[in-house]
Amino acid sequence: MQISLSMKRTFLAKRNALLSSTTFSWGVGALIFALLTLFLRLLAPNLFLQAFTPVFHISDSIAAESHLFFSSFGDTAALTVRNEQLASENSALASENQMLVEKEASVNALLGVASTRTSGILAGVVARPPASPYDTLVLAAGKDAGVALGQEAFGEGGVPLGMVSAVTADFSRVTLFSAPNAVTHGWVGKANIPLTISGTGGGSLSATLSRSAGVAVDDIVFVPGPGQLPIGTVVRIDSDPSSPGVMLRIVPKVNPFSVSWVLLRDTGSALRDSFSVATSTL
Amino acid sequence: MNLRNGILTVSAFVSAAILPWPATALLALAASFVEPLMPFSIGLFMDALYYAPGIGTWPTATLYGLVFSVIAVFVRHQLRSSIIR
Repeated sequence: MQISLSMKRTFLAKRNALLSSTTFSWGVGALIFALLTLFLRLLAPNLFLQAFTPVFHISDSIAAESHLFFSSFGDTAALTVRNEQLASENSALASENQMLVEKEASVNALLGVASTRTSGILAGVVARPPASPYDTLVLAAGKDAGVALGQEAFGEGGVPLGMVSAVTADFSRVTLFSAPNAVTHGWVGKANIPLTISGTGGGSLSATLSRSAGVAVDDIVFVPGPGQLPIGTVVRIDSDPSSPGVMLRIVPKVNPFSVSWVLLRDTGSALRDSFSVATSTL
Repeated sequence: MNLRNGILTVSAFVSAAILPWPATALLALAASFVEPLMPFSIGLFMDALYYAPGIGTWPTATLYGLVFSVIAVFVRHQLRSSIIR
């Protein structure tokens, strides 16, 4: 009888050990979950992005709320002055832009040239840095909306941001010019000095140039496209006396951390050829 | 103990999806003290979410995660073997 009870106790203890939560390893569970997520992305990338879009929207809301929270600690008087300055600057630029559009139209009419204004695909940004450690944007527009690999993404004011590097049926990924190891060929300054722009991650760019080139802070950096397209401004020049070159630190014209929509369009091969990263359908 | 590990694990995954990546990296490192596989798992998850082939050539989040997981396993092994029974 005693042996029977002892065996029963041992058996129950073993059974409980199998079912008990104390034997469950959160690390192994996490690894299985991560692998399942990875397989879902590899096997059904469109479904994967559809599933995670609501999560990315929550991320957006949190980023916006936290920005508002931290901004509330700022100097309100200084912010008001800055706001007024920006409003007047915006108004001046809008009227200047309108004047240029009309001038372009009249010149085109005079020369008998069809308007060069092209429409693009307006796509909302689903995920962006800094949640992403890579400088990529996930857009809520894919093959079904007409997005194709190699199309250029433009932010507000027609500033080029990057190129479409992956497409699914309903989503696409844009690799920003600031992505680590992304290389773009362009020009800097009024003298249009050619330079190779490297992405350094975190929304910033850099380029190495000869000290004698005479580049200064606030010079504009351009990339090819239809004409020259401004992508950023030189904000700092790092100089080492032992080196013949200087390192230009470039900040993009449009902050990729706050971009909420982009315009996608194919502007020809000039910009595509100057930008070197691989492309994929994943 | 197990509840704490669970909270750390879930927080790290939620952070990977909604918070800036440095916050996620910190959480994954904190979780590695109790679950050595966490940095690797979080790295895989982040690459599943954000990696686009061709960017930096390698999925760096997974690789860094793997390195930190190996370090965490090694440190835990050393600590266990150094305990005098």
